[in-house]
Amino acid sequence: MVVSGTSPQEREFRSWLLERLGQYLRRSVEEIDTGVPFAEYGLDSVAALSLFGDIEDDFGLYLEPTVAWDYPTVDSLARHLAAECVRRVTGPLGEER
Amino acid sequence: MLKHTTCVGTAGPDAPEARVAALEALFGDPGDPDNPFGEAAVLAADERAELIPEAEAALARFGLNQEFIPLELGGRLDRIDTLARVLRPVFRRDASLGLGYGVTSFLAAVAVWVAGTPQQRRWTADLLLSGGRLAIAYHELAHGNDFVRNEFAAVPQQDDGNGGGTAGFRLDGRKEVINNATRAEAMVLFSRTSPAPGSRSHSVLLIDKSRLPRDRFSHLPRYETTGVRGCPIGGFDFRDCPVPADALVGAAGQGVELALRSFQITRSAVPGMVLGGGDTALRTVVGFAVERQLYGRSVFDIPHVRATVAGAFVDLLICDSLALVGTRAVHLLPEQTSVYAAVVKYLVPKLLQEATYDLSIVLGANFYVRDGAYGVFQKHVRDLPMTSLGHAGTAACQATIIPQLPRLARNSWLSGGEEPPQALFRIHDDLPPLDTGRLTLAASDDGLAASLVATTAWLDSYGSGDPVGTLREMARALVDELRALRERCLDMRPQDRTALASPEAYALADRYALVLAGAACLGVWRAQRHDEPGFIAGPVWTTAALARICKRLGLPVPERAAEETAGLLPEVLERFHDRRSYDLYDTPLTGVTHGG
Repeated sequence: MVVSGTSPQEREFRSWLLERLGQYLRRSVEEIDTGVPFAEYGLDSVAALSLFGDIEDDFGLYLEPTVAWDYPTVDSLARHLAAECVRRVTGPLGEER
Repeated sequence: MLKHTTCVGTAGPDAPEARVAALEALFGDPGDPDNPFGEAAVLAADERAELIPEAEAALARFGLNQEFIPLELGGRLDRIDTLARVLRPVFRRDASLGLGYGVTSFLAAVAVWVAGTPQQRRWTADLLLSGGRLAIAYHELAHGNDFVRNEFAAVPQQDDGNGGGTAGFRLDGRKEVINNATRAEAMVLFSRTSPAPGSRSHSVLLIDKSRLPRDRFSHLPRYETTGVRGCPIGGFDFRDCPVPADALVGAAGQGVELALRSFQITRSAVPGMVLGGGDTALRTVVGFAVERQLYGRSVFDIPHVRATVAGAFVDLLICDSLALVGTRAVHLLPEQTSVYAAVVKYLVPKLLQEATYDLSIVLGANFYVRDGAYGVFQKHVRDLPMTSLGHAGTAACQATIIPQLPRLARNSWLSGGEEPPQALFRIHDDLPPLDTGRLTLAASDDGLAASLVATTAWLDSYGSGDPVGTLREMARALVDELRALRERCLDMRPQDRTALASPEAYALADRYALVLAGAACLGVWRAQRHDEPGFIAGPVWTTAALARICKRLGLPVPERAAEETAGLLPEVLERFHDRRSYDLYDTPLTGVTHGG
């Protein structure tokens, strides 16, 4: 049995985020380290705010505008988005809605 | 006699118009050479690079600081539109005095009103009530408005043992070009409190200078500036200086968010104050044009002069409509003001500066004369850019607008946008209390753009005759422009939403700001039209305003609209001769009426 640290959903968010960041920063995806804060690559605070709109648009996830400030790397944001998805499709008892 | 406008809801000595009238009376006749606060005295003080001390004392007696303090803390601040309105007479006389007495205390205090503890709020209110000042130290010269890059460090100190909590901060670095740095008793300071990159590494501190050790803190020498020369602009130098833990405003790491939320209030308010300088610039040029004879006739008879003067008046009304809507939106649409505040702060100073440039051509060689009857004009021209750079330069405002456009295009423009309440546009109506907790960092809807669509549809059912027909034609053109903007913003590349945005993205922000300016003018006209018949309730100024805006956008302007602009000249002259302000409030001014 393969033990993976990340869910398929988290991996999907990760590759989506990498592609988005590549577009924001005009860099190739290979250049971006998923553990390095967005700001290190020059993504300014106001531009980081627009990531939440992209997330809302592409995934229908309604989050705080500051989500990319609080989860400032590809790794941490992908993990958070995956957790949010789980939280939202499951009810208070953890059952599928 | 001067006519007074009536105000709904408030009356008595604390009513906004009573406070404005008291300030007007305090300043006295600007043209009287013996008036200690007249224009000659203001110009002389500017030459000496100082504020008129007696004027500051008079403003203290008036209690100007109370305008900056919320009602519940013993001040008079309950509405942001009123704050701008009451400060406008001060800026009409002398922007240095407005800023220097002044407004920077408010810019600093806002963070405390928004996020301070009850103790911090009380302390700040008491300081201002006793005539004290707050300096605002957000930016550093090397980083300009990119203040997240600030390197000024406030290193949290570990508690010496027990709880593991912080024992305050150690501050190290310089804050440069700070108004009132030396004489302010306290400051609100933005600093890096964590070395981690990103937007959760800065904090706002409220610092009582009397608690700083003298060997660790000093003031920088005064800076000489081209505008607001009377303002004592200096700076701070901290050398591993301890600051107590209770200086922290809001939570650690929340500094960027707190700054951006505070800016939504200050960026909305300041342009409405600064407008007073544009008023004086226009009044000075009208005086010149009426009094000066050239080629055997009055300068005012020259067609180009008439067009310039009327155009400047229209620009002031456009600016005031935007300022009014921006300041009222803080109360009525706080979820949307992150974009409106930036639009107001971007466009109003730009329009004012361009209008005063056009007016300077009318003055001719007199533009270069630093004293005499028209000398005050060049002072306002020098002061305007300084007051608009202040805490949010043009580029910073554009950078706030651009990333928000794709989401507004998608969620709001021409589909789903909710029409705002008419109160947004009502000059004298009451407002709900300010709820700073509802200010958000990204606008979720665009009620002002929705109002443009709604008002245009309403105009369609209004009847076909001119001048409303001309107005409708231009309103439709603005809706078409919004539609075109929608297409282009939906296609905006992600890289254009960063600080490295292309010139095209900046152009979109400019066009959007102009569309909103048109929406504000239409909204103000529509919301006022049931009032007693008067100038603002009539369509002449709105038609002229939309023509100015369409022209800036490169949209076709109906020929009839250009004629409407000429229809404004009697109003310009009447307000000059009766001494009434060149803005929406039509405020009686002190001074000798010219018996036109």
